[in-house]
Amino acid sequence: MTDQQQADLRHDEVEAGTTTGLASPSVDATDARQNSLWSDAWKDLKRNPLFWIGGLLMLVFLAMALLPQVFARGVDPRECSLSNSQQKPSAGHWFGFDQQGCDYLANVVYGARNSLIIGVLAVLVVLLLGVVVGAIAGFYGGLTDSLLSRITDIFYALPLVLGALVVLRTGTLGRGVTAVAIALALFGWMTAMRLVRSQVIAVKSSDYVAAARAMGASNGRILVRHILPNAIAPVLVYTTITIGVLIAAEATLTFLGVGLQRPAISWGLQIEAGQSLLRTAPHLVLFPSIVLTLTVMAFIMMGDALRDALDPRQRA
Amino acid sequence: MTRPDLSQPRAAAPGTGGTVLEVDDLHVEFRTRSGVVNAVNGVSYRLAERETLAILGESGSGKSVSAQAIMGILDTPPAVITGGGIWFEGRDLLQQSEEEQRKVRGPGISMIFQDALSSLNPVYSVGYQIGEMFRAHRGMSKKDAKKRAVELMDRVRIPGAGARVNDYPHQFSGGMRQRVMIAMAIALDPRVLIADEPTTALDVTVQAQVMDLLKDLQRETGMGLILITHDLGVVNEVADNVAVMYAGRIVERGTVDDVFANPAHPYTDGLMSSVPQVEAKGGRLLPIAGQPPNLAAIPSGCPFHPRCSRRRLGAAATPGRECATDLPPLRLVVPGREAACHYSEEVLGV
Repeated sequence: MTDQQQADLRHDEVEAGTTTGLASPSVDATDARQNSLWSDAWKDLKRNPLFWIGGLLMLVFLAMALLPQVFARGVDPRECSLSNSQQKPSAGHWFGFDQQGCDYLANVVYGARNSLIIGVLAVLVVLLLGVVVGAIAGFYGGLTDSLLSRITDIFYALPLVLGALVVLRTGTLGRGVTAVAIALALFGWMTAMRLVRSQVIAVKSSDYVAAARAMGASNGRILVRHILPNAIAPVLVYTTITIGVLIAAEATLTFLGVGLQRPAISWGLQIEAGQSLLRTAPHLVLFPSIVLTLTVMAFIMMGDALRDALDPRQRA
Repeated sequence: MTRPDLSQPRAAAPGTGGTVLEVDDLHVEFRTRSGVVNAVNGVSYRLAERETLAILGESGSGKSVSAQAIMGILDTPPAVITGGGIWFEGRDLLQQSEEEQRKVRGPGISMIFQDALSSLNPVYSVGYQIGEMFRAHRGMSKKDAKKRAVELMDRVRIPGAGARVNDYPHQFSGGMRQRVMIAMAIALDPRVLIADEPTTALDVTVQAQVMDLLKDLQRETGMGLILITHDLGVVNEVADNVAVMYAGRIVERGTVDDVFANPAHPYTDGLMSSVPQVEAKGGRLLPIAGQPPNLAAIPSGCPFHPRCSRRRLGAAATPGRECATDLPPLRLVVPGREAACHYSEEVLGV
């Protein structure tokens, strides 16, 4: 706290002590709307450069996913000529050609849609499962907690890839983008649950929760309004990082023959295919990896900015 | 002790000038792995409208636990209310469903806490938190709730309330935070306000301002005030009546003037002697010998007897009033004064 703030606080005390009688209401007419957590967070976000850089990157990738033709400069990713196989990047073909002799820029651009959908969808499911199960387990405790925690442990015991493999092999979900995303989320939500649960337990015993209870707040209101906003920050950061992990995990599933299948295009498929050619054509791994890294960075920056904005003590 | 007739309404409805809250033979224990801790062992008191009742006691005397039992904020488990009643507006809160109890908290009985910083939610502006009382209990719109929040902040004398309504708890000083807490607690005009060591975390000048504020608000609204404290000075200045607690029991009760002038229980007497006196400058303070009792193993007989300078053991005691074996009941010693000591008359010097 600065000296000026200290002085302001002292001034408050003195003024409060000297006020005689009860002051007349001095309602601020300029801003009658009640500030909420989110409106204050938005004000803070607007001033955060991390948020704008992350947001800009995200917009670029979103546009890429929506309008790949524009970014691919009109080149069809499936128009290939084996004579161009593994050609290095050039002025006409910025990212070069892949093993099949297809334009690699067009391939990477067209891969954005599937990769983003898988990453974002899977992370949303992870967030949903993690927050709901973690909050209920942490808040109610006792038998509910034991039961939910053991169920989580069962999922922990199943390796992500093995679990997803079994789910995708049974075929009930199909083999499309949604199926892969759900299969990944189904075996990747446990850490988020543990994070939320431990935070909820820590926040639950704080004085302001007891105070809210003493003021007659219901269980639902206490959990949603008082505990979750104070417990959400770590899981937000965790999930933004997880997006990259999930996009990469899709590649592993593909390698095992249960993820997306060609002719589908995704960054995971490209990285997987490029690995075996790393020594002769490193650009095949390099370009999809760069865009994947940038995507993950965009999400991490947004997550960081959001975490800071949701914590008033971090605000400038 | 005879059980009260439960069919009769005990605490009167508000506005009748009678009792607003009655705690009757309340028992609370904590069931821990290492044994049962008897935190509250049969506490009874009544609070009238406009009355300020101070509950005085050292750490672990059960004064905060009994308040938490009233507010329903005990951690259960390990805490269990094993007996007694809490009567408010003619109903025993302990016999009511959790939902019915919840509706009493806030509009009926409200509470302020010792540490206002940790009692305010760090992620919401103070205006939002005060306004939440109106939104949650009265279903007010955000705009109206904010307007009411500013009015309340003015009422608890927060300077520049209109400008500070969007500030966060960490941007306020200790005294101002406690005012915000008070604003929340009185938002719905409760009949009873419980203040659990409201000034302990504040410095002395701010303490006086906060206590003055509480007294002024009480004068305006007519609410009953339960002041839980270990600060004899605060009790002397603001309370009408005082109940002294020791080892989960009330050991002495009476008006503040009487009790402070002439204690009827050796423990109260010890407390008074341990306060620094301006006249006795240079002299030594007189502490009460020994340690507060372990609530998992409260001494037999009078819980205070191991530390009591006036105890009578064995043959020295009057039959049936042996300090180490016979538990003294809280009894009327002189009109308006109750004490739980076999030899109160002696302590009083009557």
